[in-house]
Amino acid sequence: MEISDSVLDHLRHVAALPDLTGTRYELETEIGRGGMGVVYSARDRQLDRRVALKVLDFALAGEAQLIARLEHPAIVPIHETGTLPDGRAFYTMKLVAGARLDHYVAGSPSLAERLRVIRRVGEALAYAHTRGAIHRDLKPQNVMVGQFGEVYVMDWGVDAVAGTPEFRAPDARLDQRSDVFALGALLQSVLPESVPPALRAIAIKAMSSDRAARYPDASALLADIDRFEQGLAVEAWSEPLWHRLRRFGSRNAVMLWLLAAYAAVRLLLFFLRTF
Amino acid sequence: MNKILVGLLCGVILGAIDGATAWFYPEVRSMLTGIMVGSSIKGLIVGVLTGWFANKVQSTTWGVVVGSAFGLLFAFLVAAMSSVNGRHPYLEIMLPGFVVGAIVGFLTQRTGTQGPATKGAL
Amino acid sequence: MDPDTAIGGPHAHFPSTQLSLLEATAAGLSSEALDRVIALYWKPVYHFIRLKFRTNNEDAKDLTQGFFAAALQRDFFARFDPAKASFRTYLRMAVERFAANEHAAAKRQKRGGDVEFEPVGEQVAATESPEQAFEREWQRQLFSLALNDLRAHCDRLGKQLQFSVFQAYDLADGERPSYAELATRHGVSEASVTNYLAWARRLLLGFVTERLRSTTSGPQELHREMRRVWR
Repeated sequence: MEISDSVLDHLRHVAALPDLTGTRYELETEIGRGGMGVVYSARDRQLDRRVALKVLDFALAGEAQLIARLEHPAIVPIHETGTLPDGRAFYTMKLVAGARLDHYVAGSPSLAERLRVIRRVGEALAYAHTRGAIHRDLKPQNVMVGQFGEVYVMDWGVDAVAGTPEFRAPDARLDQRSDVFALGALLQSVLPESVPPALRAIAIKAMSSDRAARYPDASALLADIDRFEQGLAVEAWSEPLWHRLRRFGSRNAVMLWLLAAYAAVRLLLFFLRTF
Repeated sequence: MNKILVGLLCGVILGAIDGATAWFYPEVRSMLTGIMVGSSIKGLIVGVLTGWFANKVQSTTWGVVVGSAFGLLFAFLVAAMSSVNGRHPYLEIMLPGFVVGAIVGFLTQRTGTQGPATKGAL
Repeated sequence: MDPDTAIGGPHAHFPSTQLSLLEATAAGLSSEALDRVIALYWKPVYHFIRLKFRTNNEDAKDLTQGFFAAALQRDFFARFDPAKASFRTYLRMAVERFAANEHAAAKRQKRGGDVEFEPVGEQVAATESPEQAFEREWQRQLFSLALNDLRAHCDRLGKQLQFSVFQAYDLADGERPSYAELATRHGVSEASVTNYLAWARRLLLGFVTERLRSTTSGPQELHREMRRVWR
């Protein structure tokens, strides 16, 4: 049977559509293609709400179990898992209404806001690592910022196969330190044009090709960001002397002014005495 | 370290330093030791009172205000009790005393822990 | 209940009847197994040769025939190492080597004569590389064969109506009729239209899988190729 290009593409599309008959879901539309699976929006007939339904590519079933074990405010909760008639595994999860991180950043949020998002992502990573889960494909496309400011990290545990190369660590084996690399890359991607050198240094340290030179875990990276926000010295950056003095000055401004006032008073009295 | 203790130490040390600046006034240089002792005691009292306030109220602004007030008050008392060349050195003692009081006020707010002073609280 | 038409029937109800390439080779490469490989790869190889070596229709046909006759011996399959590449890539590279040798030999023989060039107009010439064309034709042929399987299956089961509905919608070139139109045209309810389409598509997926199974080394390669088809 001869088939034209358009029919071929159509068939490729429809044959892969998940057959949801027998489930409580009604397929709506495709909303994205993640690593190793396609995400659709669907309607849960029983609960009358919309959900995100991810169909895993052929013969990849581990992801759902992995994520279902993780319970964290920044990890999308999984509702249900199942198997399609054609053998593919699927799971449904909360349908997140919000913006992908790269789109969110395009809206020029403040630096404090951007760091807040990074902190949420880092906390999710730290939590997942303690549960033995590794993200492996962290990038702006996998981070969503919801309408209420909540942050979600999606697409866990898959291998960054055809992913964005700049976020993938040059490691032979992907593990927690590779996630740290990706977190650094994520930080770098959200930093504005005029970035404080300390923050850039944090990102660079996280992204060093030498695994041992990176932060040992996500919490260490976040701790450095905390130090930056408090005006303390950052582990990643050995700052020049004048910068350290400036920082010291701004942190201890009040005290320095008081001492200056004392000195001024003393000088004033001295000069008054002369006349 | 308890805030009262902080105030005590800061008050004594800063008071001693403040008193030592009398060295620059030749007319009182001979009484330097006495001045330093007096200034240290003044500083101690101001420090304890300011520290006591910091123990009760956590507010950098008010701590500075209260410290300055105590510093000014006791500096006035000291100046009233002293006489140099026949006049009371109100300006020379109260102005620095005011600022030193402010410094003690700031330090007692920013350092030390609130709570009762106990033995070995150091 | 007929497992083939039961909606929401048990998963993996589509029986895998085909052997993988490794299994077939081990079992002695029946002519049926070879036929399936040729059925899938003849057209893609032909198109590839035409584009890559800029030969005319007749020469390309000859080369394609020659390749399958000469190269498709048992040790061609035995030498295939699934760890290195997919069977599709392995075969394409073998075609390249074969055709390059033959083409060079033919050119040498034609020294002094005119080398015929037939414009490759009817194919997607300028925009596609020969490798891309090879993969595209491979996909096309894969679905084409699966569609034949589906039609034969429907004929066997007396489900011509279902196939007609499917053909009218999913195989329509250009504008597709609405479900309502289809329902009227075929004298069934719209719900039936939805069911028939879902059923036919599910079977199509199954037949595509089977066609792929007989031309891949095993489950891993099969799933990799499946993912590739649908990327």
